[in-house]
Amino acid sequence: MKNILQSIYFYLDTRFKLSDLIQFAKKKKVPEHKHSFWYYFGGICLFLFILQVLTGILLLLYYTPSVDSAHESIQFIMSQVKFGWLMRSVHSWSANILIAAIFIHMFSSFFLKAYRSPRELTWITGFFLLLIFLAFGFSGYLLPWNELSFFATRIGSDIAGTLPLIGNHIKTFILGGTDVTGATISRFFWLHIGILPLLTVMILGIHVLLVQILGMSKPIGIPENKVKEVPFFPNFILKDSLGWMLILALIGVLCVFFPWEIGQKADPFAATPIGIKPEWYFTFMFSTLKIIPAHIFSIEGEMIAIFGFMIGGLLWMLVPFLDRNAAKERRSPVFSFIGWVVLLYIVVMTAVTYLLPGL
Amino acid sequence: MKLKHSLFTRRQFLNGLLGGWLGALLASFLYPVIKFVFPPTREPDQVILPFADFRDMEPNSVKTFLWGTKPGILKKKDDGSYLAFVGVCTHLDCNVSYLADQRKFFCACHDGWYDENGRNIGGPPPKPLRRLVLSIEGEDLIIKREGGERVED
Repeated sequence: MKNILQSIYFYLDTRFKLSDLIQFAKKKKVPEHKHSFWYYFGGICLFLFILQVLTGILLLLYYTPSVDSAHESIQFIMSQVKFGWLMRSVHSWSANILIAAIFIHMFSSFFLKAYRSPRELTWITGFFLLLIFLAFGFSGYLLPWNELSFFATRIGSDIAGTLPLIGNHIKTFILGGTDVTGATISRFFWLHIGILPLLTVMILGIHVLLVQILGMSKPIGIPENKVKEVPFFPNFILKDSLGWMLILALIGVLCVFFPWEIGQKADPFAATPIGIKPEWYFTFMFSTLKIIPAHIFSIEGEMIAIFGFMIGGLLWMLVPFLDRNAAKERRSPVFSFIGWVVLLYIVVMTAVTYLLPGL
Repeated sequence: MKLKHSLFTRRQFLNGLLGGWLGALLASFLYPVIKFVFPPTREPDQVILPFADFRDMEPNSVKTFLWGTKPGILKKKDDGSYLAFVGVCTHLDCNVSYLADQRKFFCACHDGWYDENGRNIGGPPPKPLRRLVLSIEGEDLIIKREGGERVED
């Protein structure tokens, strides 16, 4: 038996160069210092993404993307299919936790200046992954075709529609028409299970590959020879999987006690329900649009806010090239300060949405 | 009492513990997935039809109704009483038809024959047509599974 296994291994090894990979895995080390904790969030994001893929594939067995049957098929999954409630709740809960984990991963990388040379592309691919996952959230939210998601999509696409010149074209392209209809479900479904997963696999591949090639970033100011390192396998991976198990247990508890709701089936002609708001990770932008004055220096306030977010996002993506101090391994308190301001803004505006709903 | 020799080392014990835990974890994940993949049965417990639609049937004739996702066949006998079947051949799941002049049910797929009471009398069908239980309550015709049986869970 052992000989057979050995010869199978030898066969594969000569073709796939497995021993090189194994050598790499054996040698791979992870720095250990007082900020090491934040390293785990990348792995958690990856784990949650895999969970999304698996539960998403299962939901595809019963979900039907059309106005007449989308909501009904979700009801069928939640009430008739065995463990359907579990699969859908895991998909919805872990989607939300994934977005939160991505934000934590992004801000921790930002404050540790992990974006600095030579890891600029890791940061930029990560930024694209953030956009992709926000699009995942936006498109997936509509698929159950309930009234909250219906109106959230109307609002969200209308914001895109206010952009000058190209706005209406973007809106029509996103919705597959001028309104949220069955064509929108088809389009969001296409995006959610076709385009976005494909993009994710490609960009995530580059992102993870870069981490393997360049190794983990160490915080600025820790001398190269003073960093303690632990082997990736098994030390780090075991702690990593402990984190995954804890997250999984959390998701399990949430799904059992708070199964994801189905909501009322969307009625395009009904009045928009009171307290309508987008998914929580869009609320900081949503509240900004509500708060901003209608006109600033005779320019439409909404437009300024939208452009502000777009330019802000662009600058955020280009931070590795703007932060010249970090690139030279010097501390860059200005960027830390900017990071805190951005984080504070997001937290406060998100809290405002929920604490001051009448705003 | 201290054992002189142990059957396994501490390392083996710990590895076994970890491996066993992983196996149990995997099993607990696979169980719901497998249950999920197999769809729940869509066969109804009962079907309620308005009796008015069937009262005026000729003797020795049939009318179909929806039995879940399958055709149900309601047959009026010569004495005026009714019989209900699942109109699906017991051989390989084809839908059967009633040939009133021959007083037989016929399955075109593999030349299967049943008599007017649904008993298999010729060709490959291994079993009679599945009978359903009929009752008339007021204006409703209630059709149920025989003996509350479930064909599949």
